[in-house]
Amino acid sequence: MKNILKIMNLNLYYDEFQALKDINIDIENNKVTALIGPSGCGKSTFLKCLNRMNDLIEICSIFGEIEYKEENIYKPNYDVINLRTKVGMVFQKPNPFPMSIFDNVAYGPRCQGIKEKKRLEEIVISSLKSAALYEEVKDRMKKSALSLSGGQQQRLCIARAIAMEPEVILMDEPTSSLDPIATLRIEELINELKKKYTIIIVTHSMQQAARISDNTAFFLMGELIEFNKTDKIFTTPLQQKTEDYITGRFG
Amino acid sequence: MSNKQKIIDIFQQALTYLAASVGAITLFMIIFFVFSNGYKLLDFGLLVNDYHAKFYNGGIEDEISYSNTIRPNNLDDEVFYSQKWGIGLKDDNDREGNPIIIVDFIADDSPLKNIYDKNNEEYEPLLLETGHLLSKISFYDKQTALTKYGAEYMIEALNSSDTFREIVYSSLGGGIRGSIITTFYLIGMTMAIALPIGIFTAIYLNEFAPKNKITSLLRSLIETLTGVPSIIFGLMGLAVFVPLTIQMTEATSANIISGSLTLAVILLPVIIRSTEESLKIVPDSFRSASLALGANHTQTTFKVVLPSAFPGIMTGTLLAVGRVIGESAALIFAIGTAVKDDISIFGKSTTLSVHIWSLMKDEPANIELASTIAVIILMIVLLLNIIVKFISKKLIKDLY
Repeated sequence: MKNILKIMNLNLYYDEFQALKDINIDIENNKVTALIGPSGCGKSTFLKCLNRMNDLIEICSIFGEIEYKEENIYKPNYDVINLRTKVGMVFQKPNPFPMSIFDNVAYGPRCQGIKEKKRLEEIVISSLKSAALYEEVKDRMKKSALSLSGGQQQRLCIARAIAMEPEVILMDEPTSSLDPIATLRIEELINELKKKYTIIIVTHSMQQAARISDNTAFFLMGELIEFNKTDKIFTTPLQQKTEDYITGRFG
Repeated sequence: MSNKQKIIDIFQQALTYLAASVGAITLFMIIFFVFSNGYKLLDFGLLVNDYHAKFYNGGIEDEISYSNTIRPNNLDDEVFYSQKWGIGLKDDNDREGNPIIIVDFIADDSPLKNIYDKNNEEYEPLLLETGHLLSKISFYDKQTALTKYGAEYMIEALNSSDTFREIVYSSLGGGIRGSIITTFYLIGMTMAIALPIGIFTAIYLNEFAPKNKITSLLRSLIETLTGVPSIIFGLMGLAVFVPLTIQMTEATSANIISGSLTLAVILLPVIIRSTEESLKIVPDSFRSASLALGANHTQTTFKVVLPSAFPGIMTGTLLAVGRVIGESAALIFAIGTAVKDDISIFGKSTTLSVHIWSLMKDEPANIELASTIAVIILMIVLLLNIIVKFISKKLIKDLY
């Protein structure tokens, strides 16, 4: 199975407003897929469709199919909870819970019913190591997560997502509220993580997309304009609109 | 900046300062009034004494060994002392302002230490102590010494007698121990009933209820209830909870349980409102983070949202406790106005604020004792405030 996610004829409406128009994309396994486009183009909305976080918005209605491992996640009685454990998410602003660092990472596994202390410790430590945060916090696991810096908080959120042992990690502009050094660390981390996970990242920075992604999708006004290998998009885009955007003529 | 803007700025600032000072001065004056009226009667005895004085009728043995203790130097000038009987008496006023004769000193070898209970078949010994009130000593050969003749006459009469027929004395009384205990019972029981119901209702309304017309109707109904005069709830308590508790428990009249139930109903809207407000300010990012981790709605609510809202809920609870301590109108019906010393949750009694009400309804009103109780209420509220602040601070420090 080469493509872990297949999006077919996806249309999304907020009440009357159509936010996504007939999107078709296949997401490759163990690759970083970047979603770029100007604000309000629907890329974040698209991302939230992939783990059904749009369910929480009442006025949102979705048509079309998204297949995760060849099963439509929008079919009736689909196990959303299970989907979300397999398709993790990292948000734009770091949003650790107001709990200790340990409890933050252990939150997901605990919700799945893992109570054994030793097992939880193993999961927390390995997740923090994968998120390149362990060395910085190993002496203060019981301290509040909100005492960490912004970049550390975001890596904690990544560790929290990893603790669920997902297959896909969705990242919604994970570095937009971070300084350049913290951003660099997250980017290094993403490069490391793609060996094990499929990553889909929304980003405003085209340099970032160019640096870290294998495939890039360009969204404009709810439409998917172009989807291709990242180097192709940035060197020889097929569409005029894509070229205009990446050369900075609008957006 | 234009001149006009400057004038507007000055005007707005002046208004702010004026309003703030009026508010602060008013509050300060209330506290000053209460303290200046109440501080005189404020002592430890008030807090631990019974309200109803206990009376003792004492008789004395035929063989009396008189005291040899000379007047101690540390006695006040206004104390009248009898060396023969080894006792010092003083004129005073009780908390209601009536004259009393108080035992200021009693010598170890005083014959008055060997009196027996005349009301008791077994003639058990009685213990006359410092602080007791002497209300009457009757003699075989002269006029009875009563409180109204004063301490001086009582000492003279004692000195000129070799024995007496009967001595009547009492404990001081007028204490508010019973009312304090009732108040704490009521706080505990009301909170035990109202907090879980209120908090879970708020959780339902804010986290689970569908956002439709019925929910918003329910919410406006709850908000309307906060404006209903508490005396209406008191009548409801009298009509519903008092008969209910009489049916179901050993109570025979209005009681602490019916009072707690009534207060719980009064507090429900307050608790629901404040809990909902604290749930609303929990950032949605916490909820989405939790859901994105595969937690279900219930787990999200109880593991993330509720703990984050906890400091706010604590503050709301404190306001509710303040309401319990301060409520009087509803309780007059739902718990009764009888000041009691032996408190049972199945019987009538008064809280501190109803105690104030019963002091103020008499003619003449006992403003001094009422103010003293008000001071005590203020102190309890202040103490609770400090405790809750301390706990929330510690919690917030752990959380953030």
